[in-house]
Amino acid sequence: MSLSAFRKVGICALLLFAATGMRVVSGDSGGRFFEDITQKAGVAKKHTNRSFKNPYSNIMAGYTALGASVAVADYDGDGFEDLYVTDSKEDGKNHLYHNNGDLTFTDVAGEAGVAEGNDAENASADCLWFDYNNDGRPDLLVVRFGHNQLFENLGNGKFKDVTKEAGLYRYLNAITAVAFDYDHDGYVDLFIGNYFSPVNIFNPETPRFFPESFETANNGGGVTVFHNNGNGTFTEVSEKIGIKVSGWTLDLGHGDANNDGWDDLYVACDFGTDRFFVNNGNGTFTDKTETAIGFDTKKGMNSDWGDFDNDGLLDIYVTNITDDYMREGNFLWHNNGNLTFSDVARETGTYNTGWGWGAKFFDYDNDGWLDLYVVNGWVSAGNQDYVPDIFQMITKPGIDFADARNWPPMGNKSLSGYEKKKLFHNEGGQMFKDEAAHHGLDSIKDGRGIGVADLDNDGRMDLFVANANSEPYLYHNILPPGPHWAEFMLEGTKSNRFGVGAQLRVTAGGKTYLRFVNGGNGFASQSTYRVHFGLAKQDSIERLEIRWPSGARQVFEKLAADHIYKIVEGNSKTLPFIAKATKR
Amino acid sequence: MKKPLPILLLLSLLTGAWSDGEVRFKNAEKAVASKDYPSALSEFEAALTADPDNIQYGSEYRQAVIQAKEYDRCIKFFEKLVADHPNSPNAYLNYGFAYVDKIPAAGTITQVILANTALTYFTKSLELKPSWIAYYTRGNSYLYWPKIFGRAALGVADLEQAMKMQKADSQKRSYHVRAYISLGDGYWKTDQLDKARAIWKEGLGLFPDDIQLKARLSKEGDELKEYIDDVLDPNKRVDTNLQEIWTNK
Repeated sequence: MSLSAFRKVGICALLLFAATGMRVVSGDSGGRFFEDITQKAGVAKKHTNRSFKNPYSNIMAGYTALGASVAVADYDGDGFEDLYVTDSKEDGKNHLYHNNGDLTFTDVAGEAGVAEGNDAENASADCLWFDYNNDGRPDLLVVRFGHNQLFENLGNGKFKDVTKEAGLYRYLNAITAVAFDYDHDGYVDLFIGNYFSPVNIFNPETPRFFPESFETANNGGGVTVFHNNGNGTFTEVSEKIGIKVSGWTLDLGHGDANNDGWDDLYVACDFGTDRFFVNNGNGTFTDKTETAIGFDTKKGMNSDWGDFDNDGLLDIYVTNITDDYMREGNFLWHNNGNLTFSDVARETGTYNTGWGWGAKFFDYDNDGWLDLYVVNGWVSAGNQDYVPDIFQMITKPGIDFADARNWPPMGNKSLSGYEKKKLFHNEGGQMFKDEAAHHGLDSIKDGRGIGVADLDNDGRMDLFVANANSEPYLYHNILPPGPHWAEFMLEGTKSNRFGVGAQLRVTAGGKTYLRFVNGGNGFASQSTYRVHFGLAKQDSIERLEIRWPSGARQVFEKLAADHIYKIVEGNSKTLPFIAKATKR
Repeated sequence: MKKPLPILLLLSLLTGAWSDGEVRFKNAEKAVASKDYPSALSEFEAALTADPDNIQYGSEYRQAVIQAKEYDRCIKFFEKLVADHPNSPNAYLNYGFAYVDKIPAAGTITQVILANTALTYFTKSLELKPSWIAYYTRGNSYLYWPKIFGRAALGVADLEQAMKMQKADSQKRSYHVRAYISLGDGYWKTDQLDKARAIWKEGLGLFPDDIQLKARLSKEGDELKEYIDDVLDPNKRVDTNLQEIWTNK
């Protein structure tokens, strides 16, 4: 659909929506759908930014207010999703919050062997669960400024550091990672986005390690791709497979843009243009940025994929910076179906989210339309504003931006701080309306990552928000009963074990919804591997079609709603979902 | 055999009716009409070289540059022009506008650098010759800066000066409405809403059909803010065509 057609349909749909008052939860009298359970759930440990001890420490403090992240997975297979949460200070411990099954959590990172993610030469920036050895147990990658860590899940509540033997011990100032099987060999591969180039930012030998340009920098860390060899080791293949990025990467998002069965890649770059790579289906990618999205100069922060208008094509949401002094606006890339995208952020009301960070598509009210939660805010500190300082630097003739010594220290000043988060309710696939305040999700902390998961297996999606230099939030979804739902846990046999990249098409009430298994999309966060569908008034599913990464297709008919199903590739019957809480 | 000069050109040369600058300017206009921008730009540049302070040549040149998207060429040309002719206020004015013209094609940070550089040359133009157009231009430019920079007050001062000049002008000129609009915007941006509405009303008294003044006066609160924010959105192209200046002499 062209952009103008999208706009016309949008107006019609909005009128229809307004006329019918088509809200699933009728009778809602202003009640909140979320409650803050951070304290009582036992997950309130604070994140602290890294302080550097080098000559540029007072400059770097502001620019590395990062590292608050969360990754969701059921690491012990008890049927309840657990949380891994990072800290960034030098002696800060990372947390493995084991889900006790009653919406309380116990931090078992120390005994599991995954707490030590920060030291003088490494700072945690992100985290990712992925099953690198296809043993059915999610393993853990701690993404770091410095050296990443890969922990093998031993299955007994313990993890083993296998970074070196896996071939992943390399100095990268990594900030994001996704894992998907780009070449369909049955093993997920690792795509790592790096912010700074691989200079030792803890003890830099040169002051010239800052971005050379605010818009078109080519001295960033880019993207490093590690091919999974299927024997517990990885080989770096970035250039070989056509992934060449030199910008300051902040996020990576994968999804199948043209429904050809091969996942494509969106690279969101802070300094430097965003990139779009099309998977050629032969183990290589082609950079199609120019034709797909055009060359931008905005500060790409997030890349999440989802079919927000239920047209059977995955769209992409990218946050940028929008403030009085920098009006970039976000991108909501509507997929035109021909490997081109049109930005409909203005038209849909998702354009302005301040200094945006993580953003996630999810259906919080089970009405069948993907909503969006967006966190924001750079540094919320003192009353003084850092903007004039930075602009004074910018307007100096002949300034060398790459030289850290030219950047003004931030001190206790704020920059795009104290910004309210946005919960965009999807109003029929054409417009979004901010409901954050209504549901108590409009915090003003400096949000970074959002983990979406059904933490109590009740079919309603909960949220964990990682905040920089602050306590996180755990929001329990308390949507009133009514709207139906279904969740699916996939197990690949020919495909990778967690079915990453599988597309699921559910038909209910004559409408078809597309969702997929994603391998860690969204800034500083990973949501559940389970695939959730809101079904609104439909209490049964007419048809479920799964397209596995192996190419296999399976169809299931007449499934009851309000269940969590387990599906094994090649098995014609769904399996019952079993959850057995284990308190620790 | 030498090619005969076009009759018109020959006549003008014989009679001395057209200067070299005028001839090149006419050639440029013809090239623009046929969308031959490479030729147009060369001819405009030749015209300006012959008559560097000609505000019309400079303005028309920039409009052709916008069509051709040759912003850097234009900036480079004016850089040399003002270096060769340092006492040309209109050349400096157009030089500043050359930076403004590039703003919509630039990223947000580059926009700031361009806008700041433009101000430098608008100031230089004012120093050489304090004219209505120079005060209005610089004053209006200040309004595009975010509030935090405190430049709106400087804009108000310039626009008040432009207003004083136009009130002293015995003739009512169509472009005078611009100062009413912008000065009101400046007052609004410096939280002087009453003064803003008063100056917009005064302007509407003189220019009763002006839709921009009507729009401002019909809005209040957030609606007015949204409207003015939209007007002052640096991502939108500002109309920098100075045609009104020479058509309303």
